[in-house]
Amino acid sequence: MTKAFSIFGSSSRPQLGPFEQQLLQELWSHGSATVRELLADGRISQAYTTVMTTVDRLYKKGLLDRVAEGRAFRYTPRHTPEELQRVTALENIRQLLGSGDASSLPLSYLVEALSVHDAQLLDELQLLVERKRRELQSRKNKARESNGREQH
Amino acid sequence: MFALRGIAVSLTFFVLLYSLLSALVVVAWRSLKLVHAAEKSLAGLLFALRVLPLAASVVITFAFVVPSFQLLEPRSIDEGMGAMPLSLGVCALLLIACGCFRVITAQTKTSRVVARWLEGAHPLDVDANTQTVTFRSRCEAPPLTLVGVRKPRVLVSESTVALLSHDELHIALKHELAHMQSRDNLKKLVFRFCPFPGMAKLESAWSQTAELAADDAAVSKLDDAVDLAAALVKLSRLVPVEAAPVCTVGFVTGSISARVARLLAWDEAGKAQPMRIRPWYAIPSVLVALLCVFVTYGPTLALTHEVTEWLVR
Repeated sequence: MTKAFSIFGSSSRPQLGPFEQQLLQELWSHGSATVRELLADGRISQAYTTVMTTVDRLYKKGLLDRVAEGRAFRYTPRHTPEELQRVTALENIRQLLGSGDASSLPLSYLVEALSVHDAQLLDELQLLVERKRRELQSRKNKARESNGREQH
Repeated sequence: MFALRGIAVSLTFFVLLYSLLSALVVVAWRSLKLVHAAEKSLAGLLFALRVLPLAASVVITFAFVVPSFQLLEPRSIDEGMGAMPLSLGVCALLLIACGCFRVITAQTKTSRVVARWLEGAHPLDVDANTQTVTFRSRCEAPPLTLVGVRKPRVLVSESTVALLSHDELHIALKHELAHMQSRDNLKKLVFRFCPFPGMAKLESAWSQTAELAADDAAVSKLDDAVDLAAALVKLSRLVPVEAAPVCTVGFVTGSISARVARLLAWDEAGKAQPMRIRPWYAIPSVLVALLCVFVTYGPTLALTHEVTEWLVR
């Protein structure tokens, strides 16, 4: 399965071509299917042999399981979309950490990315707090004004 | 030989019961998430569940196993000890030794780190109600933390004092004092004493709930909630890389965004709604259980003795 991933590919999917991704989506929606069943509902316009070659490539990449059914194969996705996303992310991080000569350097990229992410999150939270504070202040001001009017 | 056999049998029973109850707790604690109760009550329930295997094993061993062996085991028979009770007894001793070692290590490490944090610190405030001294420590210390078990102290770093407004600092200190009143550092130390694989998630859930409970205890009106949220966000930017030792409770712990969101959605009417589960709710059940034990003590001792005999063989 490792060979299907790349740190330079999409962040949430293994490096797959558009047609491979489409077939994987179809298989997730079917649960399991033969090539003929994939072609049957008409959403895939490619030739039978093209589909067969592509699902075979997905199988070899470790993304599908298959069992013989008559003269064809029935293909089943090995992972759910969430599992695939998690495994891809883990694999990307593993590749990143193993990529440099100095072992601490890739980790520092990760820490930097996390720090930037954390800082953004804290900025957003700070904005929310300030907005709530302004809201409270204006509520108090209004209450004070209405009290003043009642007294007059 | 009789005494040695008694100790081995008791330890065997203890370790088996402890392991069985711990495994049950590891599997079953998630159902507590369905309980709709105040965070303080939930934290109490999670803590009770975490220490239940140890407490129940100790109580049952001393209340049933030891007396049943002393009263019902014939002293005249020189019975040999099987390999099973001997090895399980050694396991129990190892478990107890491991617990003691973890507690001593945690205490020593905490004392060492806190002594470093307290170098050059000076008292900031003395709370007469809680007998707590708040120290103003240097910038290397965590922004705001409660340290120690016997004599808890709150440490506030120089940068925290500079960064927070008076109200924010006041409410953040109230949060730490709430941890102190719940004896959260002592509870963490108790967790160290009773290790079992798979308990980390339960401990983490307790820690998160204890934070929310301390937030609830500190806040009494919406202004307080906003001040606490502001303090939380500001101090999140100061958190040091160094891991905190066991007997400390830092202010910036758990999911910050979840805590801030919860504080900003705080409303005075809502605070009274969740059910509080008070410890005295358990008194009737405990009394009934004690009565049952009192009535059936003889037969239970006989049954326990049969079980221990079976274990030994």
